[in-house]
Amino acid sequence: MSGRVPAARRMTTADPKRLVVSLLGVGAAIGLVLLLQGLWNGQLVQITAYEDNVGADLFVAQSGTESILGDRSTVPLAAIEELAGVPEVQQADPVHIHYTVFDLHGEKEFVLLVGSDPGDLGGPWEVSGGRAPAATGDAVLDRTFAEEHDIGVGTEFEMGGRTFRTVGLSEGTRSWMTSLVFVTAETAQEMTGGGEVATFLLVRTDEPDAAAAAIRASTGLDPLLPATLAENDREIMAGIMEGPVLLMIGIAFAAATLVVALTVYSGVVERLREYGIVKAMGAGRFRILRLILGQTILLAVAGSVVGYLMYLGGAWLVGQLRPQFWFSLQWRHLMVLSGAAIGMGLVAAIIPARRLGRLDPASVYRG
Amino acid sequence: MVPIARRMLFTDRRRALLGVAGVAIALVMALTLDGIFAGTTRQVSRFIDTSPADVFVSQEGVRTIHMAISLVPGAVADEIRQLPGVVWAEPVLFSSDALRVAGARRPSYVIGYMPGGRGGPQILVEGRDPGPGEMVIDDSAATALDIAVGDEVEVLGATWTVSGLTTGMTSIVNTSVYVTFDDLATALASERTASYILIGTEGDPEAVAKSIEAAIPGVESQTRPRFSAEERSVVREMSTDLLNIMSFAALLVGLAVIGLVLYTSVLSRLRDIGVMKALGLGRIGVTRLVLIQGLWTVVSAFALAVAATFGIGAIVASVAPDIDVVVETASLVRAGAGAILVAAIGVIVPLIKVWRVDPATVFRRPS
Repeated sequence: MSGRVPAARRMTTADPKRLVVSLLGVGAAIGLVLLLQGLWNGQLVQITAYEDNVGADLFVAQSGTESILGDRSTVPLAAIEELAGVPEVQQADPVHIHYTVFDLHGEKEFVLLVGSDPGDLGGPWEVSGGRAPAATGDAVLDRTFAEEHDIGVGTEFEMGGRTFRTVGLSEGTRSWMTSLVFVTAETAQEMTGGGEVATFLLVRTDEPDAAAAAIRASTGLDPLLPATLAENDREIMAGIMEGPVLLMIGIAFAAATLVVALTVYSGVVERLREYGIVKAMGAGRFRILRLILGQTILLAVAGSVVGYLMYLGGAWLVGQLRPQFWFSLQWRHLMVLSGAAIGMGLVAAIIPARRLGRLDPASVYRG
Repeated sequence: MVPIARRMLFTDRRRALLGVAGVAIALVMALTLDGIFAGTTRQVSRFIDTSPADVFVSQEGVRTIHMAISLVPGAVADEIRQLPGVVWAEPVLFSSDALRVAGARRPSYVIGYMPGGRGGPQILVEGRDPGPGEMVIDDSAATALDIAVGDEVEVLGATWTVSGLTTGMTSIVNTSVYVTFDDLATALASERTASYILIGTEGDPEAVAKSIEAAIPGVESQTRPRFSAEERSVVREMSTDLLNIMSFAALLVGLAVIGLVLYTSVLSRLRDIGVMKALGLGRIGVTRLVLIQGLWTVVSAFALAVAATFGIGAIVASVAPDIDVVVETASLVRAGAGAILVAAIGVIVPLIKVWRVDPATVFRRPS
């Protein structure tokens, strides 16, 4: 009777308790990698929520402006009349956008203040409760932000030395770093001391390219596609956060690799006699290495699956407790993870393989 | 006395090293993340911490600089100078924009101060203070963007000549550039307002701060330590939830590794433990055996983690000088407490195993 024995699988699963603890360790490390990656992707989506959703086809900005996050743009309100003369422009409305920090219930809140005229482009695109701001002192807050501070429609709060009245709650307007607060253009101008200027002029048009060329020629201002603005904002965010995120992902992967190496090494040491027998029966170096690699890769891949499940559970739990955290993973991240898991298995095999490489088969015959 | 626990743990040095390294890496994750946020927090308040001002006056309701909007009428500085305890008072203007040069850019604070005054760069490593149309930039940003003294850069839609370089004013988030107050006021069209008033005092700064708020309506007056604490709290409060999530995941990894280390150590010594029990070692004795191994693992891992974190900080400082990894005592205490908690939980399964060891296993032949 002949047949192959799945030695690697049997050795990996021989001690269920140890296997569970190892999978937990690898899973936690991989789960952490996925949480970091998912959070990073979610942040890149959230940070561009305004330009992605406000409904403008062009953002007309001061010449040289490339982003909302990193650039200061000042556009004269008088330019609206010039835009009205461009045939491709269907609608042009000013919007005032400024980051600000204020204290709310003893906590520092970092918000993006958005001021627009009632009924015009620039205000909240989805109001789940109440209405959009219509008068000075009106404010629309993100729903999850408002709930966290026990604020409802009709509640008053202080910001920048002024009293605001919550008139509505918006959806999809918050990230873990910042939240959008919508007010009227007049309120935003008072708060920022701006004169007859806006941050951007938002334009609706069916012909963005033609409209952009005409606007550039007639006003000297820079019309930007929302997608371009969003890409530049993501680039700025990446410049700030990508280094630390990658560092943490690297450390987490190292942790997972060590757990795999420790598990397989412990198994090897406990079964030295068995490995000695295998060597004494003629198994060469390559055969032994295959045995080790089989275990490490199996553990790494299984641990990655556990890690993905832990990520799903962790992302759900965090989303329930802290809805401002968005997680987003694409298939390519999971593909990269699969490749990384195999790489992890390869590296983790080094120490156990070296141990077995030095094993003297004659040790089998010793008492 | 024979240090049995230590010998049991470290007899197989490779396994011990893998285990200690695994726990250490989990602690390194938590310490590094903490360190990055601590470093960022310190960087964010550098303008305040290095300023010669004892008191800072801002618009009422505004307690920070980072991303805040503060408008103080220029005449307020004259009023403040008349108050007792005030030695000097100088207005500064703050704005933000991108520092641009030949296709490269960096988010930046733009600080306008009185020439020869105290609101400008505290150190000049090269060149001189700015005159009209000139700018002092940070040497780290200058290196990153390949800018030298005498070069031209673009900020706020205008071109400026670099007159000098300062240092220590670039963080992971942004850099700072200095221009004259008049130049920035013109660029912002705010000739009659300041962002903040910097004040030098004699006597108790706290008392002077209170007297300013009592005498001048519509302003906020804070001493340097309080203003700095408020500024740092912006970063801290923004990052608390994220830090907690990541630290919890890191501790989970550490828990799995410690459990694995102790479990495999116990498993490999079951006969020895059986002998000791047969010779009269009671439950307390075997419990101590496992607990001491856990303690050794955690203490060794903690020492290794602290050394590794400092090492990572040094490497990061040379590769990415804008990222500061600062290891604070509070962070060490938290990591240490987390490690002990993880060890306390991780010993449970190995303890149950050794409690159940039957001394009769000594007399059975090994299989």
